[in-house]
Amino acid sequence: MHLHGTAVDVAAPARVRSTRARLSTRLRSRSAIGLLMCLPLLAVIVGLVVYPFFYAIYLSLLNKRETAFIGLDNYRFLLSRDTFWLVVRTSFLFTFVAVLWKAILGLTLALVIHTLPTRGQRIWRGLSLIPWVMPLALSSLGWWWIYEPTHSSLNWLLALFGVNPKPWLSDPFWARVAVILVNVWYGTPFFMITYLAGLKSIPQELYESSDIDGASGPQQLRYITLPMLKNIIAITLLFSTIVTLATFDIVRVLTRGGPRNYTHLFGTYAFELGIASGDVPLGAAVSLFMFPILAVSAFFILRGIRRSTA
Amino acid sequence: MASQARRDFLKTAATGVAAAAAIGFPHVARAQTKLTLGLWDHWVPGANDVLKTIIEDWGKANKVEIVIDFITSIGNKLQLTGAAEYRAGTGHDIMAFSTWDGTFYKDKLEPLNEVAEAVIKRHGPYNENATYLSLQDGKWVTLPSPIGSHTYPLETRMDLWKKHAGIDVQALFPPDVKKRDQKKVEAWDWKMFLEGAKKVHAAGFPVGMSIASNTDSNDWLGPLFATYGSTPMSEKGDITIDSEATVAALEYVKELVQYMPADIYGWDDASNNRWLISGKGSAIINPPSAWTVAKRDRPEVAAQVWHHDAPRGPKGRFRGSLPFTWGVWSFGKNKKAAKDLLLHLSQKDQQWKTITASQGYDIPQTNAFLSHPIWNEIEPPKGGQYNYPVRGDEKLIVAGWPAKPDIGAQIYSRWLLPTMVAKFTQGGVPAKEAVKWAASELEGYKRG
Amino acid sequence: MIRSRRSRRTTALFVCYGAIALFMLFFLFPPYWMAITSLKTNQEIESLKGIPLIIQEGVTLRHYRDLFAKTDFLVYFKNSVLVTVPVVLLSMAISILAAYGLSRLGFAGAAVIGTGVFLVYLVPDSLLFIPFFKILAWLGLLNSKWALVVVYPTAIVPFCTWLLIGYFASIPKELDEAALVDGANHLQMLLRIFLPVAVPGIIAATIFAFTVSWSAFLYPLAFTFSSNQQVLTAGTVTSLIKGDVYHWGGLMAGALLACLPPVLLYVFLMDYYISGLTAGSTKA
Repeated sequence: MHLHGTAVDVAAPARVRSTRARLSTRLRSRSAIGLLMCLPLLAVIVGLVVYPFFYAIYLSLLNKRETAFIGLDNYRFLLSRDTFWLVVRTSFLFTFVAVLWKAILGLTLALVIHTLPTRGQRIWRGLSLIPWVMPLALSSLGWWWIYEPTHSSLNWLLALFGVNPKPWLSDPFWARVAVILVNVWYGTPFFMITYLAGLKSIPQELYESSDIDGASGPQQLRYITLPMLKNIIAITLLFSTIVTLATFDIVRVLTRGGPRNYTHLFGTYAFELGIASGDVPLGAAVSLFMFPILAVSAFFILRGIRRSTA
Repeated sequence: MASQARRDFLKTAATGVAAAAAIGFPHVARAQTKLTLGLWDHWVPGANDVLKTIIEDWGKANKVEIVIDFITSIGNKLQLTGAAEYRAGTGHDIMAFSTWDGTFYKDKLEPLNEVAEAVIKRHGPYNENATYLSLQDGKWVTLPSPIGSHTYPLETRMDLWKKHAGIDVQALFPPDVKKRDQKKVEAWDWKMFLEGAKKVHAAGFPVGMSIASNTDSNDWLGPLFATYGSTPMSEKGDITIDSEATVAALEYVKELVQYMPADIYGWDDASNNRWLISGKGSAIINPPSAWTVAKRDRPEVAAQVWHHDAPRGPKGRFRGSLPFTWGVWSFGKNKKAAKDLLLHLSQKDQQWKTITASQGYDIPQTNAFLSHPIWNEIEPPKGGQYNYPVRGDEKLIVAGWPAKPDIGAQIYSRWLLPTMVAKFTQGGVPAKEAVKWAASELEGYKRG
Repeated sequence: MIRSRRSRRTTALFVCYGAIALFMLFFLFPPYWMAITSLKTNQEIESLKGIPLIIQEGVTLRHYRDLFAKTDFLVYFKNSVLVTVPVVLLSMAISILAAYGLSRLGFAGAAVIGTGVFLVYLVPDSLLFIPFFKILAWLGLLNSKWALVVVYPTAIVPFCTWLLIGYFASIPKELDEAALVDGANHLQMLLRIFLPVAVPGIIAATIFAFTVSWSAFLYPLAFTFSSNQQVLTAGTVTSLIKGDVYHWGGLMAGALLACLPPVLLYVFLMDYYISGLTAGSTKA
């Protein structure tokens, strides 16, 4: 990331300046002002993210009525429940499948759009982002109507191809498909636009020279495009893993975790236990299970970014 | 009694105004008490407006400003709102609760003994079911309310059942309980229902009952299990779900499910209504909400709808119910006015009006008010709603009965029974395993 | 060689447009479906006959009319605006100051703060909402839309700061030097020199702030429950259509209208929107 570069750069011109006295005063005042300007941000981070995070940990160690400290009992309880393990499996499955498809479809569409003449790209690029721009909770409502058992337009379309109607929201397997499908619909545009920007930054000469060497399209893809996009692919995959794992809106609107808890993710299950059933400590424990995965992903993202700027 | 309360209230208000004027706070004279109400958004078209008028008229007469939020039960919104207000320590002065919800929040609900006892003294007792839910440890934590309170009879297309299943429900359950043929009524059991369901399914008009995370599912499965002698937990707190009776009931439902549409596992509370109104469904287990909407949108369907008793099981006949209650938060600012209003709404005049406005949907919780003529009169078909209030030998219960309210409330709100059933009938989990799962869930509910 | 490249190109284009058609169908079907449902009569919505993909029995504006006349839609809209405007202003102020401080005024720990900002962006709302619930209850802000003004910035400020740091860093240092020589203090420098030059970045960040604020769902669902405090997302999903057995026409109308502001913003400021989205990845 930029910060290492800028920190060093900013200090440099000051050093070149006049007397040493003025230099040190300048540096000190700049630091002070810099810090001052960051205070609101720090207040937000510390007060509204760091503190609640630790408070959540504290909460997860309390009993349901929040009158006694029970240590890791909530966690032990969760780990002994079938339903919780179902949530874990669903979360991993959902995240893995959805991110994979978003990446594949996003890359495909980016390649497709990139192949078009530049003038013609704009409109398709613009239209493709519509799923991303629509507020997810509201587009999920639209999808809910698409999946509605008696009136499903999707089933009607499938029937045109001779496919039997699917019980989208009432069968555990199809409900999972339904939820993943909405997430893929929503997230692919983001992958597409990111990869498209990445594709544009690949020098044309590489392709031209490989053309001369007789390289085919697929070969160019494999030996030029993908390696050049390696960093962007890695970063978007990791980012998306974090965001997809934390999905709430889609499941809440479409299935509310059902049928039979087969579409619950950590976020929705935490909401169900914490807010709907009134066991806030247990809900906190559930949502905290996400944290190790997020932390690991964040670690890899940071490492990837550091590597690419080094 | 209401007028005495009103007189007291006005006296206090007058004294207050005089005192305030003496101290020189003229704006107090214009200040009004304000009552906010969170009420259930009624299925029956027009019912909300009548209730609103009654409450606002009371407000005008008593110089109380009224604000009403009609909150839907779709998506458990009403339930969620109650939960949130409880946690927040802020919310509507009067809140509508369904079934068990008042139990969850009783430590922050104002005891309503004075109101309840006044009503009982004047109009007689509440029914057993309502008392079981509201009177806990000698305190009336909530007040039984007729608004929205309903039971779950069969709502059957009598023409389809007569034609395809050969069962005439109209004759079985005539609009006069004295005219019933007891022997035939005894024969109306789950086996007979299954055979009928098979035939109507073959004719293309299946019955439909949801097995999903909604109140409709709780409200037919709870009683069904009870008819087999299966209960989740005893009053003393022993887990009783692991029994032969439970397995027998599960096996029955598995058979019945063959003759129902596949998407019952994804139904919400309005789905069975839609199922009947569309003309495709031949029977649902539901209060007359489907009928009232059919009357408006598909009158030819409505004219053939007959409400009647549930089938008998090996251990008797039970009917599901979803009683509503009113609760007053103890952290509210206007508890006295709230109690006065509730007393007013519990009187015969008001309940008569709301029952009529609900087109017979609302079942009064005070036994004496069951003498309302609407169920005899409303049509078409004439007498179709006569058997909607319990006339025969069905025992009214809620899913979770007879467990102590603390546990019963969780059994209901965590959808224990529908989830257990779906595991077996849809998920292919063996019956014994599904029951064991339910037993372990019940252990979890005991956690504090 | 040239001919084969050209014919290769034509085949490629053909395949591309085919693929684009499929993607467009996929992406645009849901909003299309929502739109025509909102314009169909109830009878047509319910009926299982005919072709559902087109309107066969006449367009009706009834659902939209009812939306304004019979539901709390306008209340939700008003609340969304009342929440979004302060949130955007507040978030932008915090982000701009911090981005300037971090990118220009190097001080010990700036790098740490920068990384911290990035990490914080990764703590999702589905983790924070539970402690927030308790904190807001303690503050007495539960069931008030102002609770949202307090919590929304957590989702917005980190990314906007990060975004703006990228834009600010690309502004040439000579501008700084010139202003400092002229005796400008940092605030003046920020306002008079930086902001005008960084306008594309500011616009991109503002769009992001607006979109996140308008679309937020979990926080309003968890923290507000009275109808008069609901914002559009939570309100439309949970309270818009009450008790009615057939409600999809009105629901789709409400959902579409609620989507309109972010979509319009996107349509008119598309390039800024996209540059904001891609800023992170390309700079990384």
